[in-house]
Formats: sequence, structure tokens, C-alpha cells
Amino acid sequence: MQFSIYRYNPETDNEPYMQQYNVSGLASGLMLLDALLSIKASQDESLTFRSSCGEGVCGSDGMNINGRNGLACVTPLHDLKEPVEIRPMPGLPVIRDLVVDMTPFYAQYRAVKPYLTVHDPEPEVEYHQTPRERDALDGLYECILCGCCTTSCPSFWWNPDKFRGPAALLQAWRFLADNRDQATQERLEDLEGAYSLFRCHTIMNCVDVCPKGLNPTKAIGNIRKLMLKQSI
Amino acid sequence: MSKRLSSGLRAWVVQRFSAIYMAVFLLYIVISYMMRESTGFESWTAWVSNPINNVAVGLFFFALLLHAWVGCRDIVMDYVKPFSLRMLKLVALATILLAMGLWVLLVLLKAVNY
Repeated sequence: MQFSIYRYNPETDNEPYMQQYNVSGLASGLMLLDALLSIKASQDESLTFRSSCGEGVCGSDGMNINGRNGLACVTPLHDLKEPVEIRPMPGLPVIRDLVVDMTPFYAQYRAVKPYLTVHDPEPEVEYHQTPRERDALDGLYECILCGCCTTSCPSFWWNPDKFRGPAALLQAWRFLADNRDQATQERLEDLEGAYSLFRCHTIMNCVDVCPKGLNPTKAIGNIRKLMLKQSI
Repeated sequence: MSKRLSSGLRAWVVQRFSAIYMAVFLLYIVISYMMRESTGFESWTAWVSNPINNVAVGLFFFALLLHAWVGCRDIVMDYVKPFSLRMLKLVALATILLAMGLWVLLVLLKAVNY
């Protein structure tokens, strides 16, 4: 199977280049990560990428596969057109090969204060939630912060310092939708202005690529609706 | 959040409502034109000199220009970073849109008095 992989080592290379690899004897049913590990083990140990759990839970191996962001560990090889073109996730600085600097992504995540904020005294035993209140968090809490959505969003490419990006906005809605959270006003105020939230033009690349099947666009729409409701 | 709409939300609301108005108006104009027997200049002046139609057309262009302002402003905010260049583009855009608005107003006033 043919692979064309983005290579860049800032210490030795002047500019990035694509390197060709040929991997034979891949068993059926394997994932892209297996092929990358095989290249690293038997052909080129300098090939650099992140990976950890290998089953789409940790979100470490986000990369651009044939032009589309995804997790290598849950991308079946037999679905891929050859030569498989693999690049780092777009819109973030490349550290080396397929490893990108996630700092801008995490900074935006941090900016939405992704934790429960409660002003009342905390309950002595536990928070109570009805099944319906708990259901409101489905499709929101499952995010693994792999960065596939945010780095496929053109609005994030143009304004990574100002636009929160789909992953962070999904988490913003996750806490706005949580009946235990009491910082609704503060959260909405933080998202005011033309950039943080409203750079989203609803092109839905985020929905298209999310390896967990989540829908940040819908969450962004819900935040807008709530803002509108609160302001009239 | 304050009682006033924040700038991002305001632009978004303007975009949505102007789009709804334009869609409804286009439907109206298509239907009202199909119901007319002739569609020449005389027929048009008669149609547009009706105060309701005149105001509806005026509102349509007002919505169109607002919609264009929000959309073009979005493009400028996305892609044009240097402050002076951005201001220049926004001022030019506002001037062009205002000129178009005035032109529409003149045409509509003329049609009423035709």
C-alpha cells in the first residue's frame, strides 16, 4: 500500500516535503495507525506522530488523511484511496512531521472555563439531576479534544487567537446546558462580540470530521438562541 | 448580558431577519407578477406606485443592503487584518451600499409620482 507522508524536522529541514512509503503485507481490517507504526518499526524510525490508546478514546493521533481530518487509529485502511496522503492537522504550528503544537487550541478551550461554576453552597452529599437534565449533556460531554474539528474550521485558521473554535464552543454549550452550572450570564458575556462565537459561518466542517460523531454546529446554534433569548 | 444586543448577535439577527423578509418578498413579487396581465413598463409603474408595493420594495432593498453589509463585513473581518486597510474597505463598502440605497429611494419616489 502506497503512502505519501508530510515530513518536516525544523532542526535539519529548510522546508517540509512529502515522503513516499510502500507498506506490504498489511492484514485486512487494520487501521491507518497500524500502518504508521509498521513504517516506524521497519522502515523509518524518524517518522514522528502522536498516538496512545489506539482505539479512538484519547484523541492523540488526529491528522489530515487524504484531505480530511480524522483519528488514524479508527480510520480503516481499506477505505482509503492510494497513495494515502497524510499531513499534520492544518492551522496549527508543526513541531515535527505529524506532530502539531496544540497550544492555541488548548488556550481557546481554557477560555470557555470548561468546569462547573456554582455560586450557592455546594450540596452536602451530591448534586441531583433528573434523567432529562442529564440527557441534555449527551452529545456534548463525549468530546475527546482531539482537535480534528477546530483545525478543519477556516474561521479558526484565519482567527485562531480570537475565535474559540468548534471544540471549545461545544464545551461552552456543555456547561451552559448543565442545570447545575450557575454562571450562564458570565459565560454568555465572555462569548459576546463579533469574534469568540460569531466567526462561525455554519459551514459544518466540524460536524463532517468529528470522529465521535458530535455536532458542534448545533451547539453553537443553541448558544446563539440562548443569547437571543437572554437579550430580549 | 446587557439588554442591548451585543455586536456579534446583532449582526447575526439582522442577517437572519433580512433573509426571511427577502424570501417572503420574492415569493410575493413572483405571485403578484404572475397575476398581472401585462408586464411592461406601464404595468410596473402602476404596480410600484401602489403605496404598499412601494414600501415593500423599499423594505426589500433596505433588507438586501443590510444583508450585504453583514456578509461583506464578515468577509473583511475574516480576511483583512491590518486596521487601516480594514477601515478603508469598510468605509468604501458603506459608501457603495448607501449610494445604492439612495438610488433605490430616488427610483421609488419617482415611481410614486409618475
